[in-house]
Amino acid sequence: MTAEYRAGGTDLMERRASGRSTGPIIDLYDRGLRSIETTEEGGFRIGAMVTVDTLATDPALTAAYPALALTAGALATPQIRRAATLGGVLLQRTRCRYYRNEHYECLKTGGEGCPARGNPGERAVVLDLGPCVAPHPSSVAMALLTYDAVAEIEDRPSKPVAGLYGDGARDHLLDASDLLTAVTLPPPVEGERAGYKRAAGRASAEWPLAEAVAHLTVRDGVVVRAGVAVGGVAAVPLRLPEVEAALTGNAPSEELFARAARLDWTPAFPETAYKIGLTATLIGDVLAQAL
Amino acid sequence: MRLTFNGGPREHDPGPDDTAADVIRTAFGATGTKVSCGAGVCGACTILVDGEPKVSCLLPAAHLDGTEVTTVEGVGGDHPVQRAFVECDALQCGFCTPGFVTEAVVFHDRWRKDREGTPSREEVADALTGHLCRCGAYENILTAVQKACAGEFDDREPVPARVEAPAKVTGTAEYTVDVTLPGMLHGVIVRSRLPHARVTVTFPEMSGQSLRSDPAEETPHEGFVRLLDGDVVRYAGQPIAAVAAETPAQARELAESVTVSYEPLPSVVDPEEARRDDAPAIFPDAAAQKNAPSSAEGAGFPGRWRGNVRSGYASAWRGRTARRRLDAAEERNAPGYFAATFTTAGQSHTALEPHASVADWRADGLTLYTSTQALPHLKAAAAKRWNPPKVDIVAHHVGGGFGSKLGLGADAVAAVELSRKLGRPVRVAMSRAEELTDTGYRPGTRSELRMLGTPTGGLAAISLDVSGHGGVSTGSMVATLGLLMYGRGPRHFRDRDVVGNAPPASPFRGPGGPPFAWAVEQGVDEIAHRLGADPLRLRRTWDGNRRRRALYEIAAELPLWRDRPATPQTGRYRRGVGAAAANWIYTADLDTKVELTVREGRIVARTATQDIGTGVRTVIRNAVREVFPDAAIDVEVGHSHAPHGPVAGGSRSTASVGPAARDAAGKLAARLDGKPVGEAEGVTVLGERPKDRRGSAVPVSMDHLRIGRGLAGAVHITEVEVDTLLGHTRVTRVWGGVAVGAIYNRAAARNQCEGGIVQGIGYALYEERVTDPRTGVVLSANLEDYRLPGVKDTPEMTIHFHEDGWDHVPGGGIGLGEVCTVSVAASVGNAIFNATGFRALDLPIRPDRLLEGMSR
Repeated sequence: MTAEYRAGGTDLMERRASGRSTGPIIDLYDRGLRSIETTEEGGFRIGAMVTVDTLATDPALTAAYPALALTAGALATPQIRRAATLGGVLLQRTRCRYYRNEHYECLKTGGEGCPARGNPGERAVVLDLGPCVAPHPSSVAMALLTYDAVAEIEDRPSKPVAGLYGDGARDHLLDASDLLTAVTLPPPVEGERAGYKRAAGRASAEWPLAEAVAHLTVRDGVVVRAGVAVGGVAAVPLRLPEVEAALTGNAPSEELFARAARLDWTPAFPETAYKIGLTATLIGDVLAQAL
Repeated sequence: MRLTFNGGPREHDPGPDDTAADVIRTAFGATGTKVSCGAGVCGACTILVDGEPKVSCLLPAAHLDGTEVTTVEGVGGDHPVQRAFVECDALQCGFCTPGFVTEAVVFHDRWRKDREGTPSREEVADALTGHLCRCGAYENILTAVQKACAGEFDDREPVPARVEAPAKVTGTAEYTVDVTLPGMLHGVIVRSRLPHARVTVTFPEMSGQSLRSDPAEETPHEGFVRLLDGDVVRYAGQPIAAVAAETPAQARELAESVTVSYEPLPSVVDPEEARRDDAPAIFPDAAAQKNAPSSAEGAGFPGRWRGNVRSGYASAWRGRTARRRLDAAEERNAPGYFAATFTTAGQSHTALEPHASVADWRADGLTLYTSTQALPHLKAAAAKRWNPPKVDIVAHHVGGGFGSKLGLGADAVAAVELSRKLGRPVRVAMSRAEELTDTGYRPGTRSELRMLGTPTGGLAAISLDVSGHGGVSTGSMVATLGLLMYGRGPRHFRDRDVVGNAPPASPFRGPGGPPFAWAVEQGVDEIAHRLGADPLRLRRTWDGNRRRRALYEIAAELPLWRDRPATPQTGRYRRGVGAAAANWIYTADLDTKVELTVREGRIVARTATQDIGTGVRTVIRNAVREVFPDAAIDVEVGHSHAPHGPVAGGSRSTASVGPAARDAAGKLAARLDGKPVGEAEGVTVLGERPKDRRGSAVPVSMDHLRIGRGLAGAVHITEVEVDTLLGHTRVTRVWGGVAVGAIYNRAAARNQCEGGIVQGIGYALYEERVTDPRTGVVLSANLEDYRLPGVKDTPEMTIHFHEDGWDHVPGGGIGLGEVCTVSVAASVGNAIFNATGFRALDLPIRPDRLLEGMSR
């Protein structure tokens, strides 16, 4: 049986207890991977074992990548953020209530098909990549997409964080033996501002129904750079280049944001059709925050 | 690995799957750290690793190597946060308390280092957002942390708001899950994987008791027992057998070796399918129907079966007149006529201490440590079932119950059967998935409501037909509660059960009350709206209960009510205020005895009841202290060998133990005849519960439960803010008026009323038991998928006690645990209507439902 890496353990330990994960463990606790360095280009290289809490609070990182910091600071709970790691949150497994229930097998447990497809519920995806209907859980991945971040993998060529994901059949595309060691971000952009928001039933500590993150750089009254991504809507974290394009080169305004946030999506399930309006609202909100 | 644990060096060799919590609780024996959800959601297991609060249930034990670990035991007992928790009554059952305390200690210490003054509610809530308190004591927790940060407890000992608070804030309070006996085995329950099947169970070695027992030893290492009566399972998760072994991991492994062969039977889960004539019958004959489990407290209502539908007899007062008036009003479209179908989701109790039992069967009798709210009842039930020479039931501290711990559960049965068979103590504790699957829940409901009101003439007619959805259980009683409210106008009520292949329901805090209010209180609100009447004034006209009428009058003068929006707002964020009323019966255990003994100069009070977080110890202590203000008073509950005490159910505890304790104190004072307590060593008196003046509503007790005269009342005025684009509802302020007469312990009473509001908000907005309609598997089986209200969902709350009207009860007051939560969800629904014009019919009011409803 293939060994699984253990970083902070906040996902794996729950799957160990429920019997979802039964193979050997390779603990990364003693592997270091906790450094935050500046790159030659002026960006940052963040070790895979750096905690989510550090992403949210490290002064250099929060100044450089506010969209990442805001996202990291809003997920899960303070205790989880102190234990969960950058590598772990990028490669965590789905939170689907069927996958997390020992009574079911599905393609992600090594079985076949998707038991959730017949009963998707209001938390499922809007955009159906098939076969899995659960949204991708990684908020941090969503934020990293907007920065064109690159994942370093031991003994393998680096690949964009976007390239870690790609279909609805797997939570990530790495092999079990691949070790993600660091994430590199390009140099920060002076004057960038950001916004992050999630929609959920409760006020906090809840997986989002949908979430959005944005950063904007405005010069001389014109958006010169925009990064926008959403989560909770597809089996992958989703960057929205068309929204970014609609913003770039224009003077920021409520009307521009509303126009840019319009989503031309067809819902996969009637139960999740509401997420389209929800996501559009969130995009408008985070753009307003980022102004 | 080596680490520093609470200041001292430790070495341990953890397994790869061991969690920090496992090692701390088992190997280090520090049981102050509690494990509840096992998924990092509830924070009960929070420990400090190098000063950083982390959830130990997900933390690999190996990661403690080289660290400095502090648990609640290591915090000491005099930290300002602990003192503040003790004095501010920042807890109820106390199971979440060690986690809150350790987290709050770090917040406090950092605040004091970097900042001055009092942190805001928001700042404290942000720090504590990874902690859940099912009792809903958030308000006092926030206050306690604020006061500690402000330095109020730097230099002084706290005045404990409740007797056991110091034990709960230091982690020394022992719960059933903390009980470890020498030679104890660990039991695991083998459960059905199918919703309906005929099963054959094969144990690995049917003849022997053990696979691996050492022949040289007398007692076996492991063994099996069968739990299922008969050979038919009717829901996925139904207990079939139980196994015990030396460790939990070995027990789980052994459970895998039990072979259950299934012969599937046709099943139906969804109530709408189950009610059809062609649905497979779950209880095919009268014998099976008779044995269907019941979710009712005490005897359920009689009923007639047809397929999977069990219909009660109509409870009516001029029922034909009611229906004739409603038909006529419907036909002529009368302005005061309203009809709608309301639904509610099942609500899981989710006590943070799971159902757990440690059974110790010996030749001279059975000792059963169990997390129960019905210690006296369990003693009788265990004696009847197993007939041991004697039975002792022990429950020193109980981590919440809410109605789910009233009976002999599968954990207790499995532990006793295994211990009896193997001759060793056995612990069986439910996992969170088991807890959320098969320890009961408030049944889901579907209510057909028809009401006709007139602005001045009262409620002209009402009919309510309610189907309860309690899986394989019957006994949902909702509509019938309508006999007791809103005057004597013509009315027609009927309760039904629609059974399905899903786990059975059980009583839950105010059984039937919240779904009744969800329909009827929104009906009253709707009619007020249609008639252009003030909803509180309309209720005062219709409602004959003088205690509740007093509450309406007070509520009507509140700025919160007077300043409510006149019409639905426009714009994205809309504020609204809603009112709803609650009605509940008054019960007491008239057989309650409280014994007082003078021991070493102290007065020791004993009764065989248990404290599930309601503060019953303190009710007893306060009653004795009224007579002996200067004496040292100890209260011993949680052991069945004491004189008979009440079950913690039906809001009966306070009105049972309070008067009995007063009676005992009076008798002790008479015996002392002016002598100081110190000179009466060994004196014992037995206090009894005096009878009510002018008798009871029902002249006999059923299983020690007496229904008294008079009805308790409550009114909730609730303010919400709705984000109409994100479908998010935030409850911002709640006023709770409660009319239960004299209050025995003001702090605990207010705490419980606030908790009732928090649970009601959960019922209104978040909590939803989800069962897969095909397989009958409970999908809301962890605390991420079953969502409890958190500290940041807690509104500002004001509790008002109306203390008149209970002079016929000795002590002048009754219990409030149920009435204080019944009307909360309905008041949220009415507030959302006031804000948005959208009448929510289905609980919970999820964002998608709100958005969909508003777009119609």
